[in-house]
Parts: sequence; structure tokens; C-alpha cells
Amino acid sequence: MTALLDIRSLNVDFRTPRGRVHALRDVSLQVPKGKIVGVVGESGSGKSTVIWTVTRLLAANGVVESGEAIFDGQDLLTYPEPRMQEVRGEKVSMVFQDPMTSQSPVLSYGQQMTDILYRRPEPDAEKMRRAVEMMRRVGIPDPESRIAQYPHQFSGGMRQRAGIAMALLMDPMLLVADEPTTALDVTMEAQIIHLIRELQREFEATIMVVSHNLGLIAELCDEVVVMYAGEVVEHGDVRDIFYRAAHPYTRALLECDPAREMTRTRLLPVIPGDIPDLHIKPTGCVFAPRCPKAMVVCRERQPDAHTLEGGHATRCHLLDPGLAEGPVAQAEHTAPEAVSEGPRSSGAPLLEVDHLSVRFRIMGALKARVKGVQEPFVDAVLNASLTLKRGETLGLVGESGSGKTTLGRAVLGLAEAHLGNVTFEGRDVLGLSPAAFKPLRRDMAMMFQDPVGSLSPRQTVRALVTEPFEIHGLSKGRLDEEAERLCDMVRLPLNFLSRYPHELSGGQARRVGVARALALNPKLIIADEPTAGLDVSVQGEILNLMGELQREHGLGYLIISHNLPVVRHISDKLAIMYLGRLVERGDSEAIFARPAHPYTEALVGGVPQPDPDKRRALVSIEGEVPSLASRPSGCEFHTRCKYATERCRAERPGDTVLGDGRIVTCHHPLTD
Amino acid sequence: MWWYLLKRLALSVVIILLAVAALFLMLHSIPGDPVSIALGPRATPEVQAAYAAKMHLDKPLYYQFLIFAGNVLQGDLGSDVFSNRSVALTLSEQLPYTIALAVAALGWAALVGIPLGCLSAIRPNSWLDRITGIISVGTIAVPSFLVSIWAILLFSITLRWLPVIGAGEEGDILSQLRHLILPAFAVGLGWVGYLARMVRASMLEVMGENYIRSARAFGLRPRTIVFRYALKVAILPTITLIGVGFGGLLSGTVFAEIIFSRPGVGKIIYDMVLARNFPVVQGAVLVTIALYVVVTLIADLMVSWLDPRVRESL
Amino acid sequence: MNPSDIPAPAPDPVRTGAAERAYSVRREKLILFLRNPQGMLGLFLVIMFFASAIFAPVFATHDPLTMDIPNRLSGPTADHWAGTDQLGRDTYTRVLYGGRVALEVAAIGVSVSLVIGLVLGMVAGFGPTWLDNLLLLIFDAIRSFPTVILALAAVALLGPSLKLVLAIVIVTSIPSYARLARTSTLALKRTEFILAERSLGASTPRILARHIMPNVIGPLLILSAMDVPVVVTIEAGLSFLGLGVQPPTASWGTVLNEGYLIIRDTPWMVIAGGIPLVLTTLGFTFLGEALRDIFDPKLRKGR
Repeated sequence: MTALLDIRSLNVDFRTPRGRVHALRDVSLQVPKGKIVGVVGESGSGKSTVIWTVTRLLAANGVVESGEAIFDGQDLLTYPEPRMQEVRGEKVSMVFQDPMTSQSPVLSYGQQMTDILYRRPEPDAEKMRRAVEMMRRVGIPDPESRIAQYPHQFSGGMRQRAGIAMALLMDPMLLVADEPTTALDVTMEAQIIHLIRELQREFEATIMVVSHNLGLIAELCDEVVVMYAGEVVEHGDVRDIFYRAAHPYTRALLECDPAREMTRTRLLPVIPGDIPDLHIKPTGCVFAPRCPKAMVVCRERQPDAHTLEGGHATRCHLLDPGLAEGPVAQAEHTAPEAVSEGPRSSGAPLLEVDHLSVRFRIMGALKARVKGVQEPFVDAVLNASLTLKRGETLGLVGESGSGKTTLGRAVLGLAEAHLGNVTFEGRDVLGLSPAAFKPLRRDMAMMFQDPVGSLSPRQTVRALVTEPFEIHGLSKGRLDEEAERLCDMVRLPLNFLSRYPHELSGGQARRVGVARALALNPKLIIADEPTAGLDVSVQGEILNLMGELQREHGLGYLIISHNLPVVRHISDKLAIMYLGRLVERGDSEAIFARPAHPYTEALVGGVPQPDPDKRRALVSIEGEVPSLASRPSGCEFHTRCKYATERCRAERPGDTVLGDGRIVTCHHPLTD
Repeated sequence: MWWYLLKRLALSVVIILLAVAALFLMLHSIPGDPVSIALGPRATPEVQAAYAAKMHLDKPLYYQFLIFAGNVLQGDLGSDVFSNRSVALTLSEQLPYTIALAVAALGWAALVGIPLGCLSAIRPNSWLDRITGIISVGTIAVPSFLVSIWAILLFSITLRWLPVIGAGEEGDILSQLRHLILPAFAVGLGWVGYLARMVRASMLEVMGENYIRSARAFGLRPRTIVFRYALKVAILPTITLIGVGFGGLLSGTVFAEIIFSRPGVGKIIYDMVLARNFPVVQGAVLVTIALYVVVTLIADLMVSWLDPRVRESL
Repeated sequence: MNPSDIPAPAPDPVRTGAAERAYSVRREKLILFLRNPQGMLGLFLVIMFFASAIFAPVFATHDPLTMDIPNRLSGPTADHWAGTDQLGRDTYTRVLYGGRVALEVAAIGVSVSLVIGLVLGMVAGFGPTWLDNLLLLIFDAIRSFPTVILALAAVALLGPSLKLVLAIVIVTSIPSYARLARTSTLALKRTEFILAERSLGASTPRILARHIMPNVIGPLLILSAMDVPVVVTIEAGLSFLGLGVQPPTASWGTVLNEGYLIIRDTPWMVIAGGIPLVLTTLGFTFLGEALRDIFDPKLRKGR
């Protein structure tokens, strides 16, 4: 087996005002010809640095200290820049994370693609024909006319398809994909994974994929390299990694993925601690401070690479000869014991949303009149009804643009509702003036999506967590006590009180957000994407904390998320949203076990499983979410529904109540 | 596009109207009786009354304003207090000199400043970048009227290379050009640095964008990346800046016209202010404002035409 | 000054963990600033500007108004370091005193327009759309008057005075501050943390004062450092045209004007009158840029 790309002992530093960051240390990995190799790791693992080093596009403060990157027999790191320029695009090409920002906004696709073909000695018309052909190949409909368009005229999924087309245009020997689906929704992600697999077979391409997404790696890759804090901790065949992981970090990472647990545990496994500060070169094993099995030797000496059968190798002292334990075949289950499920929800509804609609104006009244637009609005939420009981968790799930966030904000009066009712503890709260709403805000709190961005940047943690008391004129003079109580509650060390938000990690900032939401002992918390921006190993900590606080205080949660695996673990009930409408509501287990709405089925099927033996043969859902401004007729899902009939196109479905109490808005619910 | 054009035009008109109203009110707050100012203290009451009636000074303020605004819109800017000559005619003679100076100044500044900014952005922190940086700050630091004075001192008085006064013989293009060199140099010098820094900053920002990295990852030539991928985006804020900064440029031309005794709108305003010849001042101020509004309008339209993101969404 | 000569502040034993980290970020920025040669040069020139203006009587060699007809129009001599004008007044002394006018205009003009601009900008950015549009229209209308032409028109009506110069400076500077404050406010208004404050029930004044202003004021202060040269130049320019400070009061503009009239007899006055103007501009520009690069790299594109 020949390696097309062979990275040997790569060491890369970044120069920063505070000294050098040792971003990559002794990284070696191989990409064999014709294979798909996945590099997996959390943020700060250095996985992207590997790509930028190999393509020689490191930021100006990056320094390659030592190492080689042998590509097709020659070391890329020794190439002079003009020669490297010949390699890029021609022999090594890339697919980028965010297609929106990685394609020129002022040049048409035709222009960008003919530019890439500048080395081909052929007329422009021929280059254009090639570009159109490639656009057709990656599944862009009507490529002849769309090639003249600009990136902003493409939807997210189409943009990434075009990005793949650009990368494949020169038929490169190696394709490097940097988080190719991270900017996309679940259903689009499935389509792109499928497309990459198809194209790999067709072009017999060699692909290196970098991702934090275990599901994507399991679905796509032949071989996997696991990175942690700038080091390769384990590599091997995809099955070796997913079934016979040897390194404690790999095992912990796999366990943390909520998509892996098929049973609802309520308590998710976590990796305690933080990624080490890479300003200092670690003396022992880099994972030792967080490793549940760390021994004395782990902190003293760096582990050697141990080769297991079939090219599977890892760096861990647990495999040192003479150690009693020997290779650990099964992962030690650090998963916590199941939590007793008492009667959690009870009594009268805490929150009732009744036929709520929210619309946004898309153009001024004058402009609408000039342009002859009758209704210059889009409906972000249409006719949505929900009920949440005390102590209950309701998961509101949908893709981006489904209106789930708007619904949450409208409940709190942060977005103006157009029609409908919202009652909190039997009291109508919609349309209250800010002054009349203010006392209610003690009982209804919200957690926002961006952990750091939702904290006022020039305030200390102390000021942030005590602000709710100040606003509501409570606990005067005892603010320090309250700050400490809240810090204890969310398990934030007290010395963090004097920090500023930008000095916090995502998980720490999220804790501050939780503390702020809980400060006044609310009855309801609306959490918008509580795990967004957090690494898998930290997600669990936050969700566990939220669950614990719920059991202690009897909180009601409305959890808004696109992340189905996360939501299913913590929700009692689910509501699925599509284009501003709720399409299915009911018990969380039941919905997961037997989705009744075709869209729910597609969403459940759209999550890539972190299991290489459960690869999907088919894409669960075709097409993209239509624009809010041009809603399809009849059932709004019919454009993407594989069960759609004439009736679906013509007639809007009503609510159907199933035997188990679920409500489905579909003409043909899947009830077998 | 049409909607945007319409909105932008309406805005320009409103700004000009606001300026007209402000000017009108200012003129009416002049201490003293406009009739005796215009005719002098020795005019008889009959002549004064006739003048007041002719100028509608006996009517209420809003009526006067409407007449004034109406006249302005018809291109009638009133007449010179002393010579009774049409202000519009006087200005139409002076305006070309000012425009020639502004265009020459901006032109040479753009021809030098924009390439300098590009070059220093391509290799930040190189010696060329550092020298450009020093030149830029240096040229910005010297106010244009000081450049004018020092340029006269150096080139006209000490070296005797170029003429000081006037705009050159009428009909003699060469002489006119020779007379244009120093004022255009003085007015444009600060802009060289200003544009170089602006282009450098926005080029550096664009060069840090993801799509530039993509273009490099696809192996495009550095030349293509700089000119087609980066400059095309980076030039947009520069065009807006030129539009907005045009007001400052006009201030510069006023100084240059006064110091070099060149004919032009600025010189007219200055002379007529000293002579208290208000109709001419008023007309000239209006013309400059209109000029500024037109230039910013052109700059805005250029930007929206060059940027497909804006172009489509209009 | 060698940056390594600067004594590092002794570590405070009470500071631990986070406090130390926040503290070290601030110290890091201070060190970055002290190591920035342009910034240090700028700081030096700015201090010179303030010191020479405030202590003008101490540094002066003559009285700014005393005439010395026998020595009129002299070049630099041991007695008159920068020569004399046509009335024999000492140019060096007059330039020193001229700095006082510049300082007065800069200090009052910049601070007043900063405060008004900040308030108007935040109101425009946070208020209803119609108010935003109205304020923008007014800002644009003001900007459409070229400063000198506005000054000429105003002087024509009200007669020349320092107060008028100040008023013109303030009126013409407000729009740039207000626009910057408005842009930042508008960007902040859409952020999640403002929404989070609203979800806690914070009132609009509280949000503006506690959460928006601290984030808006930094760039504005940097802009004000860069605005000082503009203001000083306007004053000098108007005084040069005889529309600002009136003779016999000394100002850089009046010195330049008097020098310009006798430029064929002696070049010294236009040189001496211009140099402080250039140095002040350089100083504030260098200082402002160094501060901007260190504290607010994002601002670079704003202007």
C-alpha cells in the first residue's frame, strides 16, 4: 500500500505576543492512494493546522519547526512558492468549511471556475463547457444558466456543491476537505456526504477529511486519525477506531457523542477538564490531566507509539509492556448510572402557546407600494401551538430558518407576535408592555445560542451574574453572596468572578449563561441551542448540569435545537418544526421510535451514525428548504416528500391525533 | 436597481433642499435691513419700496422661500448686488476652473495613491510598505494650504520653475496647464497618502478573507488573486471614501484658489464674502453643495454597480 | 527610551488566577504600545504640544505683542530664534502662543463634538428607524457643506471670531462621531447579549449606558485623537484666511497669513508657522494609529 501523502514528525508553532504556541507536535499520518482518511478532533486539536501546513497556506505567524510532508514522492515543505502554486489546485485541491465566505462574492461561478482552469491550454469556451459539466455532475440543476450566477444567489447546500465542483475541476490527485458539512443543516449534510462518497468512487480520488463530527467520519472514511491537543493519539482502520479504540481519549470521545447512545440516559458522559495550554510543551502524555486512567508514568514521560494489528496504532502508556492491564479491549464504561425517573412533570400547564404566528416585514411600506407587493411580510412562525408542564422538557427541533428561535423569542416578548396567544401560568403574556412584562421575567429566563456572544463583553462575570438582581432591585447588599452561590450552583470556580467573557472558554461562558438564567429562580427556561459552539466532550457537562438543576428546582425547559441526538436525550416531548409550522408533536421516545411525519422520518434518518457498519445507502431527503417568501402550496413539505400525492400539493393537511397522543400535520402519516 | 436609484436621487434632492433652506434662513438672519444693504443708505424710500417689492421682501417669509427655491430650481440664482449681472452666468464661468483643479488633484492622487496602497498591501512590513507608510502619514500631516504656501516658496520663489498667480492666459492650454501644476499638487498631495492608506487597509483586510485563501489553494497566479479577487472588492470602500471626502477636497480648492489667486468658485465666495455681495455667495455655496451631492451620488452608484451583491438586491 | 528599561510593575500578591490574566492582557497591550516606535514618537509630540501651549509664557523669549521695529523682518538670530515679522514681533514667541489657541480649539471642539456625537449616534442607532433616518439625513446634509465654505458663509453673516471657529468645528465634527457611534450601536443592537439583557428585563437606558456605551466609546476616543489635527487645521486655515482669530492675537494661522504676505521678503515666518502644525498633526496621527492598532484592530476599516 503506497501512501500518496506521508506526513512525518511534523512540528508546527505559532508565534503569538505571549510566546510560541506549539500547535503540532510530532504529527505523523499517511493518506493511502484511493482511500478516504478522516482526521478527527475537537477544537484546538490542530487538525486544521495539518491541512494548512501541507498546502503551505499557514497563517503568517505559523512556523514549521521540523518534519516532512511527502506527497507523490517529494517533500512539499521544501518546495519554493512558485512550484507549490503549481501543485495547488492541479494536484492537491480543497473543499472548504464555509462556502459562503470561501468563494469570491463579486465573481460569477463561471469566472471563478475558468480562473481555476487557467493552466489548461484550451479556449475559454471549452473551459466553460468543462465547468458546466462539473456543476451538473455535483447535482446543480440547470447548470448552463446557473453558472453565470454569484455565490450569494445560491443556497447553502448548492454553494457547497459548487465548492466541490471547483475542487474537482482539475481532477486532483488529493482532495482535502476541511469540515465540509459543518456550515450545513442535517439534511444537507447527508446529501453532501453521499455526494463525496459517490464522487470518490467515480474519480477514484484520494481524500483527506478533517472534521469534529464522528458521524461524518464513520460514514465517509476508510481510515481515521484521532488528534488531541496537537498530537496524533491514535490511528487505524475506521472499524478499529470505532469498535476497538485503544486510547482513553478516543474512547471517551466516542462515548460523549449523544448520537451513539440509543437509549435515553438523561445523563451524558463527559470528559472533565480543559484542553491544556499549548504555550508549554507537555512533558508527559498530553491527555494525562483529563484521563481517568492516568498513572504516575503518564505525567512523567511521553508515551511511545504502540502498533496493534492491522496498522492500528496508538500512543498510550496503558499499552506499555509489563503493565498488568495490557491493552484495554473494551472501553471502560464511564457512563454514569441511570437517573431515577420520578414523576417529573405534573400539574397544570406552565406555558401554553396557542396558534402563535410571527411575521417579519421584508420591505418598507413605500417600497412595497412602488413594487406592487401586497403583503411585504414573511411568516417566520405560523399557527404554532405548544404546551409545557412544570418540570418538563420540551424539545423544539428544526433546520435553520424553521422559525424555532423566533418562536422562543416571541414567547418572551423579544419578537413581536402577529396572531395567537401565549399564556404563562394561566396568565396572558402576549403584547404586554415592557413594564408589565418585567415582573414576569423573574419567572421566565432565556439562554442564548452563542455562549460568549450572549454575555456583555465589558462586564465581569460577577457583574453579569448579579445583574438580574440589580435589574429587579433584589438582594441589595448581598450581591457578593449571590454571585458565589450561583458560581457554586453551576460549578464555576470562584476566581472566575473577576474574568471577562472573552477570557472564558465556550463551556465556562455557557455556565455563566446558565447562572444568569437561574439567578432569580425562574420556573421556565427557554434554551436556544444550549450546546451550540461547544465541543462534544463539553456538551454533556452542560446538559447534565441543566438536568440536575431541573430535578432540584422543578424547572420547565423549552429547548430549541437543530441537534436531534442531543435533544432526544433530555426531552420528554418533542415538537418538529418546518417552515414555521409544527409538523409533529408528542412524546420524545415515540417520535424517535416511529416518526409519523415524513419530515421527522427524514430528520431522524439524516443524522449520520457514529458507526461504520450503519452507513446509509440512500439520502433520506432530497432538495432544500424552500424560501419563506415563496411557500409551496398545500402541504409545505410536499416539494421534498417522497410520499407526496396530488392531495398534498393541493390541500393543506390538518392535525391528526394518533393513538399514542401524538399530533401530526400530514395527509398520510406513517402509522404502520 | 431602479428602486435604489430612485431612493438615492430623492435623498440627494432632499439634502440640496435642506441646504437651500439653511442658506435662506442664514441670509435672513443677517443683521440689518437687506434693502439698505443692497441699495446703500442714501436710497430714497420710493426706490427702497420698489426694490423690496421687486425682491418680494414685503411678502411673508415662507412665500419668499418658495420663490427663492423655485428660482433656484429653474437655475436662477439671482443677480449680483453691484453689477446686477446674473449669478448663474458668473458661476458658469468660474466653475470650470474649480472642476479642472479638483479633477487634476484627485486624478494625480489616485494615479499615485492607489497603486502605492496596493503595492504595500501585497508585501506588508516590507521596506516599500514602510516607506509608503511614512510618505502617507507625511503627506496627510501637511494641510493643503500649508502645502500651497510651501510649494510657492520652493518652486516659484526659490527655484522659479513655475508661475504663482492666476490660471494662465486664456486660450493658451500650455500656460493654463503650467498654472494648474502647483495648485493641483497642493490639493492632491494629502490625498495621495490618504488613498494609499485606505487602499492598503482595505486590501489587507480583503487579503485575509477566506476566498483569497481558497483562490491560493486552487493555485491561481498571485497577479490574478491581487487584481481580480482582492482589488475588485477592496476598491469599493475607496470609491465611497472619495465620494465622501470630496467635500474636503473642495475645501482644499478654496484655499488653493485664494493662495494662487486662481479664478474659481472658492475664490468668488471668498471675495464676495469680503465684499458682502450675498446673492453671489449664496449661489456659489449652492453650486458647491450640488457638486458635492452629485459626486457622492456617482460614487454610490458606482459602488452598487460594481458589487453584484448590492446590484442584485436592489 | 529602551523598552526594556521600563520597570515592570511589581506583581500584586492578592491577584490570582483570572485577575492576573485580565491584568496581564492589559499589561501586554501597554508593553505593545511602549514598544511601538510610532506610538512613542506620537506620544512625545502630543506631550510637546500640550506642554508648549500650557507653559508658553515659561518657554517664550519675548512678549508676543511687543514690537521691535529696528529688527523687523529679521531671519533667525540669537535673540529672535525664528526671526521677526514686519512689525518686529518675535515669531518663535508668537508661534508658542499660537499653540494656546490651537489647544483651546482642539480641547473644546473635540470634547464637545465627541459627547454630542456619541449621544446622537447612540440614539440614532438604538432608536426607531424613522429617527435614525432623520438624523442620518441631517448628518449627511451637514457633511455636504465643505467646511471652509460653511465657515465663509457663516463669517459673512456673523463676522470673524474664535467662538465662531469653535462652533464651526463642533458642527462639522459631530457627524463623523455620530456616524461611528451609530454604526457600532447598530451592530451591537443585533447581538445576542443585548437580546439577553432585554430578556432579563433591563430597561433601554440601562442597556445604553451599561452595555452599549462601554463598547462604543473606545473607537470614538481613538477617532477623537485622530480628529485633533483636523480641528487644529481648520482653526489655522480659517485664521489664515482672516476668518478666525483676529490680529494682533497670535495663532498659527495668523502667523502664516502675515508670513504669506511677506513671503518674497523672508521665508522664515511661513516655515516657523507651519512646522508646529505639521508636528502636531504627525503626533496625533501616530498616537491615534498606534492606539487603534493595539486596542481596536477592527476599526482600521471603519474610516
